[in-house]
Amino acid sequence: MAKLLMFHGRECPHCKKMMPVVEKLEEETGVSFEKHEVWHDEKSADLMRSYRTVIAPKCGGQLKVPTFLNAETNDVICGEVDYDKLKAWAEKK
Amino acid sequence: MKKKYWRCFVCNDIHYGVAPPELCPTCKVLNAYVEITAEEARKILGGGPDTAFAPVDFREAIERFAAGNEFMVNPDEEKVQTLLRGVFENEKNHGFKYCPCRLRTKDWDEDLKLVCPCNFTIHETYRGVKNGECWCGLFVRRT
Repeated sequence: MAKLLMFHGRECPHCKKMMPVVEKLEEETGVSFEKHEVWHDEKSADLMRSYRTVIAPKCGGQLKVPTFLNAETNDVICGEVDYDKLKAWAEKK
Repeated sequence: MKKKYWRCFVCNDIHYGVAPPELCPTCKVLNAYVEITAEEARKILGGGPDTAFAPVDFREAIERFAAGNEFMVNPDEEKVQTLLRGVFENEKNHGFKYCPCRLRTKDWDEDLKLVCPCNFTIHETYRGVKNGECWCGLFVRRT
């Protein structure tokens, strides 16, 4: 199964909104996201920074949260998306 | 273009920019600015070695800032409160009022672009967007 990462911020309203969407997707499809909070956990922040060259070009040149990253294909989505879009992305080979 | 510090020789206003203002916005004297060092600027801005910076009410400051613009602070108060909590947490933990919806890169110039309010008017979530908002949603276009 692909390694899917979610970078989020504790005080980011978009992330807050996406969390139940992600949890629903995990429950219903069995996919799993490794979740990393980046403003209060420096290790997670460094991990996100290590993907800067992958994430930034697809997110307006910046490290935005929420960001969803497939660590194997370097496929990225940033921002709020609906359930179906996230599902299609997560299940993409 | 490298920015420098400038001091009004009449009223000690400080300007940080590539060039000094022709007219001092405080005392209205023409050609009043002289270049100074960052250290001098810091001392003047700090009001002296024993003076704490006066607190600024950030909420009031952004309301006043938005009042003169085509955008406003988001009417969704819950969202605003969440964001302000993040902004203040980031200031406490990381030194500046960084946007809670982006991550700093540790590159000084890049990260200054994340200080709230940022220049969101050029961002894809705002520019040319009818109901545009800044990335985090603190500011929204007036309808």
